[in-house]
Amino acid sequence: MREFDFLEPASVQEASRLLAEHGDDARVIAGGTALMLGMRQRMLAPTHLISVARIERLHGIDLDARGWLRIGALSRHTDIARSALVRRHAPVLAEMAAQVANPQVRNQGTVGGNLCYADPSTDPPGCLVALDACVVLGSSRAERTLTMEEFLVDYYVTALEPDEIVLEIRVPPQAAPARGAYTRFLRTAAEHRPLVNVALVAQNDGGVCRQARLVVGASTPVPRRLRGVEALLEGRSVDAPLAAQAAAMAAAAITPLSDLRGSADFRRDMVRVVVLRTVARLFGLDINEGVAA
Amino acid sequence: MSTHRIECTVNGESHSLEVPSRRLLSDFLRDDLHLTGTKRGCETGVCGACSVLLDGEVVKSCLMLAVQVRGRSITTIEGLADGEQLHPLQKSFMQCGGLQCGYCTPGFIMASCDLLRNNPCPTTDEVHHGLSGNLCRCTGYTQIVESVLQAAREIHHGN
Repeated sequence: MREFDFLEPASVQEASRLLAEHGDDARVIAGGTALMLGMRQRMLAPTHLISVARIERLHGIDLDARGWLRIGALSRHTDIARSALVRRHAPVLAEMAAQVANPQVRNQGTVGGNLCYADPSTDPPGCLVALDACVVLGSSRAERTLTMEEFLVDYYVTALEPDEIVLEIRVPPQAAPARGAYTRFLRTAAEHRPLVNVALVAQNDGGVCRQARLVVGASTPVPRRLRGVEALLEGRSVDAPLAAQAAAMAAAAITPLSDLRGSADFRRDMVRVVVLRTVARLFGLDINEGVAA
Repeated sequence: MSTHRIECTVNGESHSLEVPSRRLLSDFLRDDLHLTGTKRGCETGVCGACSVLLDGEVVKSCLMLAVQVRGRSITTIEGLADGEQLHPLQKSFMQCGGLQCGYCTPGFIMASCDLLRNNPCPTTDEVHHGLSGNLCRCTGYTQIVESVLQAAREIHHGN
């Protein structure tokens, strides 16, 4: 790993000024789990690391007066998984966070760092899209708030300006009977990065689906919200045939990534399976996948 | 390039050292503090041989810079035994044969410490998940899992 200066600004303004000053030679470090890998493999060789650990604004998880969860960018996956506030107000987010990578990464990696890296093969982004979350960005110029879909632009690309950092994630209050289900599929048990994941947030109104938000992640460059499938489910009593129809529609709607970890055809078929499992779980359906467990 | 004074506690002992920014926590422990129980394996965050506890929580020390642990408390494999009295996990790994070459063992034991602290009576499946950040190329894992379950029973009965 090349040598670098380690800078520790104590405010958003100072961090932003350092980023503007050093440009592409600087990288922000939060937990560092992804950045250290990139640097050790010499894919990245920044001359300056800008640690945001001392910036108070980026810490903590709380609930504001309007019932929105505010999750500081430096919240680790472990913090989110264990937070009583998250478990009460967005249980699907805690359920997802408890499954990210492995215990070591969850104890070090942060949700802000995860979002900025914009690796498609990861858990948090799709789940946050399904929860209709926003990302608050800060710089020495101004603060701005983007939806998750605006923030995640493309494969490893975000809407962050060069002098901006992520301050926090905001999750709106979920309608009272809304429930969520998050399912990930790993190519092998030893993998830590999902090949496919599906997040579904919906109201299960006595078996009738209302206001569903269905998002496929990890198999597309950025998570894809499937509005067509949501419309199919809206107001319908969800049974096994409808779940199967929704799963087939989801698989047809995406343009999957194709790489060493999985071909497009394989991913498309696993999207179908994982959507089916997710819908079935949220609506308490017993489904037969036609294979032995 | 910048150097930094690192003040931290390792296995209950205070340290204050000047290190370059790029010093990894794993190198800081092994080369600066001569605590060679923590192993360098893949050095790319895959194998977990370098696992240590940071403020009681397991992390991979090859994915962390020494400057990130200022003011914090680290426990390595050397810090587990109480004098001559081995930690229940150290005993159970010996009794159950939870190792062959032994290179991955410190990492497995540190990850197991974190697991049992959060979940004192884990199921086999929970042990699998709790150790998913660690690789062993000798044992096939069965005896490692049995070692963790055995230690859980011993700690439980000990209380």
